[in-house]
Amino acid sequence: MSTTRTILICSGKGGVGKTTTTANLGIALARQGAKTVVLDADFGLRNLDLLLGLENRIVYTAQEVLAETCRLEQALVKHKQEPNLALLPAGNPRMLEWLKPKDMQAIVALLERQFDYVLIDCPAGIEDGFKNAAAAAREAVVITTPEVAAVRDADRVIGLLNTQGVQPVQLVLNRVRPKMMSNQEMLSVDDVTDILALPLLGLVFEDEQVIVSTNRGEPLTLSDSSSPAAQAYGNIAQRLQGEDVPLMDPSQARRGLRAKMRKLMQTRIF
Amino acid sequence: MTLRLPDQRLDHWRDRLPDLLSRCSQPIVDLDCGDWTLNCNDLADLCAAVTEAGHQLGRITGRVPETVVSASALGLDASRSNTPSNRELQPNPVTTPASHLLFHNGTLRSGDHLQSERTILLYGDVNPGARISSTADVLVWGRLRGVAHAGCEGSTTAKIVALQLRPLQLRIAEAVARGPEDLPQAGLAEQATLKDGVIAIEPADIQSFQKR
Ligand SMILES: Nc1ncnc2c1ncn2[C@@H]1O[C@H](COP(=O)(O)OP(=O)(O)O)[C@@H](O)[C@H]1O
Ligand SMILES: [Mg+2]
Repeated sequence: MSTTRTILICSGKGGVGKTTTTANLGIALARQGAKTVVLDADFGLRNLDLLLGLENRIVYTAQEVLAETCRLEQALVKHKQEPNLALLPAGNPRMLEWLKPKDMQAIVALLERQFDYVLIDCPAGIEDGFKNAAAAAREAVVITTPEVAAVRDADRVIGLLNTQGVQPVQLVLNRVRPKMMSNQEMLSVDDVTDILALPLLGLVFEDEQVIVSTNRGEPLTLSDSSSPAAQAYGNIAQRLQGEDVPLMDPSQARRGLRAKMRKLMQTRIF
Repeated sequence: MTLRLPDQRLDHWRDRLPDLLSRCSQPIVDLDCGDWTLNCNDLADLCAAVTEAGHQLGRITGRVPETVVSASALGLDASRSNTPSNRELQPNPVTTPASHLLFHNGTLRSGDHLQSERTILLYGDVNPGARISSTADVLVWGRLRGVAHAGCEGSTTAKIVALQLRPLQLRIAEAVARGPEDLPQAGLAEQATLKDGVIAIEPADIQSFQKR
């Protein structure tokens, strides 16, 4: 029995940060020494390769591996700066119908032979793409933003994961805006965990650096960036590895910011 | 994944099987027969249903020796399970009028719909986006935040009770009401009943639960 952790990164709703999380966690885990592969199961809208800056290096996909037209080693794309990380596209955008749950299971079984972590970037929705990806996963990380619609969809996905026996299922709350939360313009962390009733694996703040790094094809966790999101992803990776890292507190983050501002104002010489 | 046959006192496995199978997404399905005593004919029917649904039957487990023996006789991979019996985990059948009551243990999440001809007693929450409906009463030992429909075949005496009643929508028989906007008082179970054709919400009336 393999000890590989095969983790589905899913959300239900699109655009909440699955791919961003997969890329950043992949790099962070690899930097912490774990042999990690990210499997792009959202191959209809493939963009994990883009975020990792590996778009131009993809030659084969898992489909060719299963069809035995190439070896797994040929299809795996090793990351340039982080050799512990590899990317495998599950399929080709033009062959939408091809994959079945058993195919995803076969791919993952191959990957589990040589990696410590298999992170599966799941497509949005709860249709076949999701079901195929979920069939191959042992555990899951559900990503949501503090928005009613995203939470609703996350809840649906959690229900489905429960019936599929995926365990444990943990939660990442993404795009948290401390100011909006404290003004009650956004669901609070408690509001979300109250409904979803999952252990909170991490909070990621809304952070412009995420967008900058996305465009550049270099996940934030690749550098020693001190941006809040980079730290959050690093913390999530550590928690996945079993380390006890305290959660960020949005209200403290606000206070921290204001304190800094006050200091800045005070040091200024008028 | 493992397919668990339902608790004997709640449902017959034959009634629940199509639904259970439709939830299976993995090709190989293990079967937990629980407390059911199944003979070779039953098991052959089960196998056929699993295959028909496009799955492959994996291991069979059960607590009843006859079931395991019958399964082995059919050449299936069968063994005795050591999971605790439902009887130990669930309420005493003498005090529970099981035939009138459906007990559901667990939260209904968005997109779930629990439906029954019996009064439903749900131990858990009904989340936003989930629905619960009964031709009789709906009793939620938890927070009701989704949609609840009691008396869904027209019974105007049906009621909805929850520890915290903050539904998106309530329905009793034909009447519809949106949930209260304000937070309910903490620690007070509430009930919704029909009064002159309008849904009224008030603190739960304990006497109405006693045997009539
Ligand atoms: N913490 C964050 N702060 C700011 N922007 C974010 C954050 N997380 C994700 N985004 C942005 O949101 C968009 C959708 O993210 P993506 O990871 O592609 O979502 P998904 O894979 O769930 O569809 C992207 O443009 C991404 O840059
Ligand atoms: Mg994506």
